[in-house]
Amino acid sequence: MTGLLRVLLVVGMACGVLLPCGGAVAADAKRLNIVFVSPGKSGEVYWDMVAQAMQAAGRKLDAHVEVLTSERNYRTMQELGLGVLARVDKPDFLILSNEESAAVTVLEAAEAAGVKTLLLSNTLIGDDAARLGPPRRTLKTWLGDITTDLQTAGARMANALIDAARAGKWQSPDGKIHILGIGGDEITPASIARNAGLKLAVQAAPDVVVDRMLFANWTQSEAEQLTANYLSWASRKGIRPAGIWAGNDPMALGAINAAATAGLAPGQDIQVVGLNWSEDALRAIGANRLLLTDGGHFLLGGWSIVLLRDYADGCDFAAASPHVEVKTSEITRTNLASVGDLIRTRAFDRIDFAGFRAKAGRCGHYDFSIDALISSLAPLEGAAD
Amino acid sequence: MRSDNDMTDPVCNAQAAPPRSRSVVRAMIWATVPVLLVVQLLASAGVEVSSFWSQIRQLDERTARTAESRAELIAEPLWKMRYDQVTSVLNEILHDETIAAVAVYDDTGVAIARVVARPSDQAVSEVSRPIEYRNGNIAVEAGRIVIAYSYATIYAHTGSRLLLLLVVGLLATLATVVAMRISANIFIGKPLAAIMSAIQRSKQDGRAYPAEVRSSNEFGQLAHAFNAMQHTTSGALDRLGHMASHDPLTGLPNRRSLSERLVTLSRDAGSPDSLIAFCFIDLDDFKGINDTFGHDAGDKFLVHISERLREAVEPEDWVARLGGDEFVVIRPEVSNAATAQAFARQLLDAISEPIRLHDKQVVPRASIGLAVRRAGDPELSHLPALADIALYHAKSKAPGTVAVLDEALQRDYRRRRDLELAISAGFAEGQFEVWYQSQVDLESHRVVGLEALIRWRHPEHGVISPGEFLPLIERSGNNARLTRYVLTDACRALQRLAAAGKPQIRIAINLPPSELADHSFAAELHATCARLGVAASSLELEITEGSLINNIACASETLHRLRRLGATIALDDFGTGYSSLAHLRRFPLDKVKIDKAFISEIPDSGEDKAIVGVIASLAGTLGLTLVAEGIERAEQARAVREMGVRLGQGFLYQQPQPLEAVLKWLEAAPSSSVLADSPSIAPEFAA
Repeated sequence: MTGLLRVLLVVGMACGVLLPCGGAVAADAKRLNIVFVSPGKSGEVYWDMVAQAMQAAGRKLDAHVEVLTSERNYRTMQELGLGVLARVDKPDFLILSNEESAAVTVLEAAEAAGVKTLLLSNTLIGDDAARLGPPRRTLKTWLGDITTDLQTAGARMANALIDAARAGKWQSPDGKIHILGIGGDEITPASIARNAGLKLAVQAAPDVVVDRMLFANWTQSEAEQLTANYLSWASRKGIRPAGIWAGNDPMALGAINAAATAGLAPGQDIQVVGLNWSEDALRAIGANRLLLTDGGHFLLGGWSIVLLRDYADGCDFAAASPHVEVKTSEITRTNLASVGDLIRTRAFDRIDFAGFRAKAGRCGHYDFSIDALISSLAPLEGAAD
Repeated sequence: MRSDNDMTDPVCNAQAAPPRSRSVVRAMIWATVPVLLVVQLLASAGVEVSSFWSQIRQLDERTARTAESRAELIAEPLWKMRYDQVTSVLNEILHDETIAAVAVYDDTGVAIARVVARPSDQAVSEVSRPIEYRNGNIAVEAGRIVIAYSYATIYAHTGSRLLLLLVVGLLATLATVVAMRISANIFIGKPLAAIMSAIQRSKQDGRAYPAEVRSSNEFGQLAHAFNAMQHTTSGALDRLGHMASHDPLTGLPNRRSLSERLVTLSRDAGSPDSLIAFCFIDLDDFKGINDTFGHDAGDKFLVHISERLREAVEPEDWVARLGGDEFVVIRPEVSNAATAQAFARQLLDAISEPIRLHDKQVVPRASIGLAVRRAGDPELSHLPALADIALYHAKSKAPGTVAVLDEALQRDYRRRRDLELAISAGFAEGQFEVWYQSQVDLESHRVVGLEALIRWRHPEHGVISPGEFLPLIERSGNNARLTRYVLTDACRALQRLAAAGKPQIRIAINLPPSELADHSFAAELHATCARLGVAASSLELEITEGSLINNIACASETLHRLRRLGATIALDDFGTGYSSLAHLRRFPLDKVKIDKAFISEIPDSGEDKAIVGVIASLAGTLGLTLVAEGIERAEQARAVREMGVRLGQGFLYQQPQPLEAVLKWLEAAPSSSVLADSPSIAPEFAA
């Protein structure tokens, strides 16, 4: 009930606040009707931020974005998606995330209903991918997907750790740099990609050993416990732990807590890296406890609207590829000041999404880098004034 | 007081207190049940112990399997440091109640998870298994799992099983014991008890009691055989018993019965003051009957006597034959001694009826010794001895009569017994003395010989007459000793006579019948004479007719030997005994001594004179020298001399005197008529 109210509230707000603005921006184009079925929970930072970025982009690009939250229940997600497709007044686009492969049913229903779909963050995998093939072949209305390159993100995080350890000469008596890896899980593509990044980076560094790859179910508390276990074990083994690679920020923060509890000074004796650009992570970076947080993939919400706007306006992103992979970016103490506030305040309206649209004749080519982002940012309201 | 029970004491005691023996049933139970119990318990315990070890082994294996399977489960959480998951896996193990604790150690050896089910102070075992973690890339030993488990459950289970087995074993044994007891009682105990009971009852009264066993098994057959044996044995025992207590010839109770009878006499009497008459009967001259008619006739004679006694008594009286010619009749109640005496005479009368033996009338004669005693007399068991005293008296003093035991008889008896006992001492201490009485030639009045006469100078009783002590000497078997004593003395006297210049005087000694029967006597006489340097021809041996009759052949043989040695033989006391003129002819006699009974009335008695005259005439015809005994007066000497008697002996000439006195007397009147000049100090022995 509260979820539904929240959806209505968000939709209402979006309509009320953004309509005049959007109309002014793109008076020549058709106003788009977009529905996003979020797999996450209300209040879940990442998906909230995805939705918010999506809506902010909608406001900039004359698209009405309706967000439906499935509350981490994939059955609900399917029901919501099918419900949208059954509407008399069908939306122009339906954005889904194929978590737990739950989106396939809805994709097929959308094909039948003639509603165009875009997969966000999680695309088809395994049997589904083999059966349905690439976008727009079996499912004509499935336009494509937009995902982040989390493997690169994982590797980047690892390299940052390794560099910091080498710089601090945190080798153990065996001469190796010992790292703990904490993954979210062992099955989701998002987790597997990150972990693969870690593995790649370590394989390239012969002086580095990942003592353990532990899995903390994405949660801070479990990560804290596992880290504590690891640190205890490492001390018994005579290992000097150099860094902790965490698949997301909450786990990184848990690892920091555990390290502190174990008598280490995170940021000084040991480095921790996370992913997600979460507010707590940014604070930890500010406090010099967290080396970096990679991420920015919540912006996929905004970038998806950019793609659809261009597609609707005849500049099909598939001209390059129906698979749009967006690189993530790291926030360190260096660039914390630039984007930290954006994240903290979630003032995504500061982003000029229109500026990211494909240039004429270069359909499918986008620069979604952090530098581009930073340069697109409108000055803070206070500063502007 | 004695009773039947006392008589059978040994037997009774054996019955009353048999050696404490365990019954066969008990012995069987004791022999089998402990073995059964032990075997059963050992077998059960063995099975249970085997099961125990099997359970232990199974538990070890199971726990090891558990450790291995859990190690697989735990490998990933352990490697991935999900220690809570490890703990929860361990907690699941604890559902197994044998497991006391589980611990998981990581590769550093630190327990990262430990769960304890229950503190166990009992012995616990441990199983340890490595935890190996594998994924596509690595295979490492992530740690170890150690399970501590307890055998307590198995111990408790085994303990309760053993207890159960023990209880079941004991119950089974108890049931077996009960079953054995019951069946053994039925099949063994009862038949045995029946047979034992029959034996006990039979032992009590000697009768045959059958054992009541009906079964047809071995015990039934045993009982059957036992009953048959009982029947046979009891008949034999009855006969044996009767034979043991009865005289087979007459069927009368025997001496053994008398002993038993004596025991019951006082008990059967009406009151302690009742008088019991005990008649000891001895047939007179039964030997003569035997000798005359043969032993078969003697037996027949005894049967007759027994029948007469039976007929003569009342039913309450009791008749027995003690053996030989001795009978006993007991009348358990008489009013007084006179009645008893009358009863005894009545018996004598009954016995004295003539009997026909080999077509000859024989008049039996018997003597009875009667003793009468109160039933309460403590010396009742001596009745036979007492009656025997009276019988002795009757036999010696008045054969064919009843002698009643009185104080005088008992006194005599005691004196006789004392003297009999003193005979040995008498010989040893030289109490026996040999006196001599002279025989005189009635014509020449010269002393031609001396008769040796024995005297006993007893230190207490004084000089005892031969008439009293000779029977005692004979009865005590000292005849030969006395004869040799006299012979030796006589030979020494002959030496003295020769030394005194009277070698012509010969000495006569009395030869008792037993010596006459002894073949060795002649040799001994010869040896003694040779030893002392005396001619056997200086000796004369006087025999009585009785000794001739008793053993004619032996006597004749001995007499001939003596005659060959040169000794002369004189027939003593002629005319009083079984005088048979045939003897005078048959035996080698030199002299005949006429008994003084025929001399004492001479010359007044014409009958005696006639008898002596006949004897003298006979002797003259047979060439025998006659000696008249007991000559006390001169006219007697004259009368017998006139009738042809050559020699005389008596107080008229000389009383018996010790040798010294005789020698002096002979010295004083060497060749003239001698007259008695000293009073008689003792009755003449050779009367």
